[in-house]
Amino acid sequence: MKITFNKRDPVYVQVMQHFKEQIASGKYEPGQEIPSRRELANQLKINPNTAQRAYKEMEEAGLIFTEGNNPSRITKDEQVLRNLRTELIGEAVDTFIAAVKPVNIPMDDLIRLIKEKYEKQKGEHS
Amino acid sequence: MIEVKNVTKKYGRKKVLQGVSFTANKGEITCLIGVNGVGKTTILNGIMNLTPMTSGEILIDGEKLTKESYEKIAFIPDAITMLPHMKIAEAIQFMKDFYNSWNDERAEELLGFFRLKKEERISSLSKGNVAKVNLLLGLALDVDYLLMDEPFSGIDIFSREQIADVFTSHLVEDRGVVITTHEINDIEHLIDKVVLLDDGTIVREFHTEEMREMEGKSVVDVMREVYRG
Repeated sequence: MKITFNKRDPVYVQVMQHFKEQIASGKYEPGQEIPSRRELANQLKINPNTAQRAYKEMEEAGLIFTEGNNPSRITKDEQVLRNLRTELIGEAVDTFIAAVKPVNIPMDDLIRLIKEKYEKQKGEHS
Repeated sequence: MIEVKNVTKKYGRKKVLQGVSFTANKGEITCLIGVNGVGKTTILNGIMNLTPMTSGEILIDGEKLTKESYEKIAFIPDAITMLPHMKIAEAIQFMKDFYNSWNDERAEELLGFFRLKKEERISSLSKGNVAKVNLLLGLALDVDYLLMDEPFSGIDIFSREQIADVFTSHLVEDRGVVITTHEINDIEHLIDKVVLLDDGTIVREFHTEEMREMEGKSVVDVMREVYRG
């Protein structure tokens, strides 16, 4: 696991964001075991208290769960996973709109452009 | 908790520290930051009672430093205090003879962690490895609080990374760590709390995550505000 941290957002928020992206993209599978708090701190070179905070927040948000003394795992809750995808896509679209808004392009042209580029990038990646 | 309360230190007429107050908690890494000569090392010496303070009070877990509480706390100076011709094993033996709180198991673990060989002489080691031996000799003590004076200064980047790794490991877990530094870049994500010193006084004291969360500022941002005015 590797995260390039920026210095101005809380580290725990950045760790959560990383997990959200990995879960939404399916790189972390439902029910998959995740590193302990200590291992996470060590892998990411972050303060152990911060790793603890990130896990606590993710646990409360239902993104991960812990049964007894077992290692924590990624949630299997379909509803949480769907919401997560919606949330991340929503955020990405917001960012995109904010970036293209100043250009003032007609909606139809914009959608055509998105379709073209999306298909092209898909082709390149597969 | 280490509590430094309204501490002043004068050398003759020169005031080195003036009304310094801050706390350092157990289970947290507190970082004293300031340019050289600002009084960081004097504070550490004050906590260890190596230098008497002119006025003010320093408490460890609510009590003044006594012979007993002295065993709860270790000071790791910025340069190794062992003789250069000593082998690492001899330095370890020296510490073991001297301190009741020496933990052999942890010392062995640290040797592995830092990839150091016991039979090597201190004089034959690189600067980075000498710094690691210095750190090992303090970290292997079973103490609640560790004071480290400039653990990152003057050594290569890979040694700095290895030393930073110690802070995220169980070797430091649950202890209270106070480190002094004038270079923060490598370790911004490692520390819990920052105490900024300028001209013998404390100008800011904050938790790094809170600062990022509430004000969206990095440690360096705050330092820039303080030191560049």
